[in-house]
Amino acid sequence: MYQTLLTTRYLTSRVIPLIAVAAVALCVALVIVVVSVMSGFLNMVQSSGRTLMGDVIITYGISGIPHYEDLISHFQNDPSVLAATPIVDGWGLLRMPYPDRDAKQSETVQVWGIEPESFAKVTSFDKSLQWKTPTANQRDWLLLDAVTANQEELRANLDDETWNQLVVIVNGASSSMNYEKSEVWNEVKKLLDEELWTLLIEHDERLVHPDAILNQGLALRRGGQDGIVSGLHVSEGNERQKDGSYQVIRNDYWWLPRYDGTLTMLPIDSQGGVIEPESIIMPFVNEFQSGVFMIDESRVFVPISVTQKLLHLDSAEIVDVNDPTVIVGIDPPKATSILVRAREGVHADELQVRIRQLYDEFIDAMPSDTIVLPPTLGDPGLTIHTWEEQQRRFTGPVEKERELMRTLFSIVYFVVAALILSIFWSIVFEKTRDIGILRSIGASRASIVWIFLQYSLVIGIVGSLLGLFFGWCITKNINAIHSAMGSPPLWLAIGVFILAIAVALYTCTRIRFGQILPIVLGVLGIVVFGSIGALILYVRHIGGLVIWDASVYYFSIIPNEIDWPSSIVTVCGAIVFCLLGAVIPAAKAADTDPVKALRHE
Amino acid sequence: MNNVQPPLLEGKDLKKTYQLGKSSVPVLLGASLIVNKGDWLTILGSSGSGKSTVLHLLGGLDRPDANGGMVLFNGESVWDKTNTQINIYRNHEIGFVFQFYHLLPELSVLENTLLPAMIGGSGSCESNARERGESLLDQFGLGHRLAHRPRELSGGERQRVAIARALINNPSILLADEPTGNLDEETGNDILDVISSLHQNGLTVVLVTHNNDISSRGDGIVHLRHGQIESPASMA
Repeated sequence: MYQTLLTTRYLTSRVIPLIAVAAVALCVALVIVVVSVMSGFLNMVQSSGRTLMGDVIITYGISGIPHYEDLISHFQNDPSVLAATPIVDGWGLLRMPYPDRDAKQSETVQVWGIEPESFAKVTSFDKSLQWKTPTANQRDWLLLDAVTANQEELRANLDDETWNQLVVIVNGASSSMNYEKSEVWNEVKKLLDEELWTLLIEHDERLVHPDAILNQGLALRRGGQDGIVSGLHVSEGNERQKDGSYQVIRNDYWWLPRYDGTLTMLPIDSQGGVIEPESIIMPFVNEFQSGVFMIDESRVFVPISVTQKLLHLDSAEIVDVNDPTVIVGIDPPKATSILVRAREGVHADELQVRIRQLYDEFIDAMPSDTIVLPPTLGDPGLTIHTWEEQQRRFTGPVEKERELMRTLFSIVYFVVAALILSIFWSIVFEKTRDIGILRSIGASRASIVWIFLQYSLVIGIVGSLLGLFFGWCITKNINAIHSAMGSPPLWLAIGVFILAIAVALYTCTRIRFGQILPIVLGVLGIVVFGSIGALILYVRHIGGLVIWDASVYYFSIIPNEIDWPSSIVTVCGAIVFCLLGAVIPAAKAADTDPVKALRHE
Repeated sequence: MNNVQPPLLEGKDLKKTYQLGKSSVPVLLGASLIVNKGDWLTILGSSGSGKSTVLHLLGGLDRPDANGGMVLFNGESVWDKTNTQINIYRNHEIGFVFQFYHLLPELSVLENTLLPAMIGGSGSCESNARERGESLLDQFGLGHRLAHRPRELSGGERQRVAIARALINNPSILLADEPTGNLDEETGNDILDVISSLHQNGLTVVLVTHNNDISSRGDGIVHLRHGQIESPASMA
């Protein structure tokens, strides 16, 4: 009973337990936030791999896999396979629509030729499309484009005054770099009669049905023409805002779905030699954001038929070597990869084994007179990998980083443990004389240890739970905090400066008493608050701060899921270290002769 | 059959050496004394003579050197007891009063007084102990300061709280180590008056001091010089 009384009094009558609780809470929160972000980062890396490429990937380099459609049908008949899709991938140059002058910018891109429908079943392609409907601004730009495209028709049907008014609206909007929100849509509509307005908006399906842009992205086609869906970061026109959203520069002027791009690829012959480059002009139909920066900055999707044609992997006639006029067979179209998605409950490793069997069966079942056979399993160029194996080049360095972080964090754990230990050591050391008093009036050694055990248990549990709560709050809101740090509001700077002034005034009132501590604390407060205020102003002055750079960390958002297993281990670890930190010095003090303890200063 | 009662407390040829770094400092060189029930024995000696050490050995706070004599309580060797028994001895039989009061700053006056009872007692004794504690503090003129913290009291008041704490378990002996050493003369006399009245009510007292004036208060005096008793410790 007296142990509980003393524990309560030790906890409530001094500031140091509060400092200990705060130290434990901060340490626990720090570890939880960093471990959660790191674990979330790794989870995102791993899960994004599966989302982007299915469970198993069959690849046959540049030559491609013939009869892939039959092969896919064979796979899809198996109960372990949910869906499969062919890919023709290669590197290419994409000529962008910008800048306005003739010398346009080109980007090196990884081109994936896909069958959009089956590709969406294997990956989350449909969910990753950026533009579901055009914004009002983008719609206005599309309208202005329609006006430009139909200007002859409009000129012929409009009187001079109306025409001039239309020209003023169009030029006024398109020439202004600061064009933001205007009434272009309504102003143009007001000028035109019903017939002309219908003619104008029917020029672009997206003006009539805003959600057509999504369907065009999903089909990779617009107006009967093959289209490009490019990664969000392929275009330099997409600027990431501090809040994580994207804005197209020049107020949507460089919104890619307004323009065409020229895709150039280098076909390679069967001997590995380079053939003449092939180019195609296609409209951008949408953009996508997988969330993995490395993919979003270089990948573009086009219909598989386009890449097959550009890389000469499409269907071709096989002629007699001796007499080129004699056609001896047909070389079927080829896919460089086949992505396979497992059914629910089937692990990628299991599917990999099954796909190998199915592939072997498929080769064995090929008619004997087949001219172009797919590669056999023994062909060194053929690989059947799980997504984990396929992503190894990407995840390998990240896994190394994780190991490094784990090592570093084990050091942080020890630092935290040492901090807790030192706090408790000093608390118990300070209480050595109390221990002597208690021993002199008959308290046993064990009961002394129990006092500090309770004391540390309360500090450990309260501190750890507070740390868990703070860690949870910070992790959950880490993107909002990051955004706020990126562009801190002015009122925050003003508030902090007011606090600094208030502390300064309070310090001035204490100077006349001649006490040093209030002055030291006051000066410290002024420096801290003043520095924070100055830092906020500086960050605002330099236009904000981006700590989590998507180009470095692959993802455009910071992972914000709590890593519960690590958090629980951290909380338990902190409590254990609190107990050790208190019990070891308490036991040492309890073992000290009461006389020596009583003489302790 | 000889049925002679043993002395209440006896120190036999007590020797104690302290280790200060690498050097050994002998403090007691074989001190013997006897305290019978109801006595007031004053141990008089200058600073460093070993008088506090004698008190610590008698009170079970410190252990004599190996082969350094023994402390007998009611004829039984204190240091042959188990740790638990020694704790009980300190808690039930001995009441310690120190020069620097040694009160726990976080506890109130009443809580400090009740502390030995809480350590040694059971829940059923709680209310009895509380009544006794309040009564003792009231007796010592501190009835109105039960909830105060030690830092809110004067030196004399603190020492009276320390005496109340020493008496809460009705000990057999009060061991007082320079109880007035940290007090002015008037307050010191007040404290001695308190101890005198307790002695008159039958409490056995062993008091350590360097002050000759105080020594006149007791029934007997032993002089401790250079770790040895100079005058016999016999008490009538």
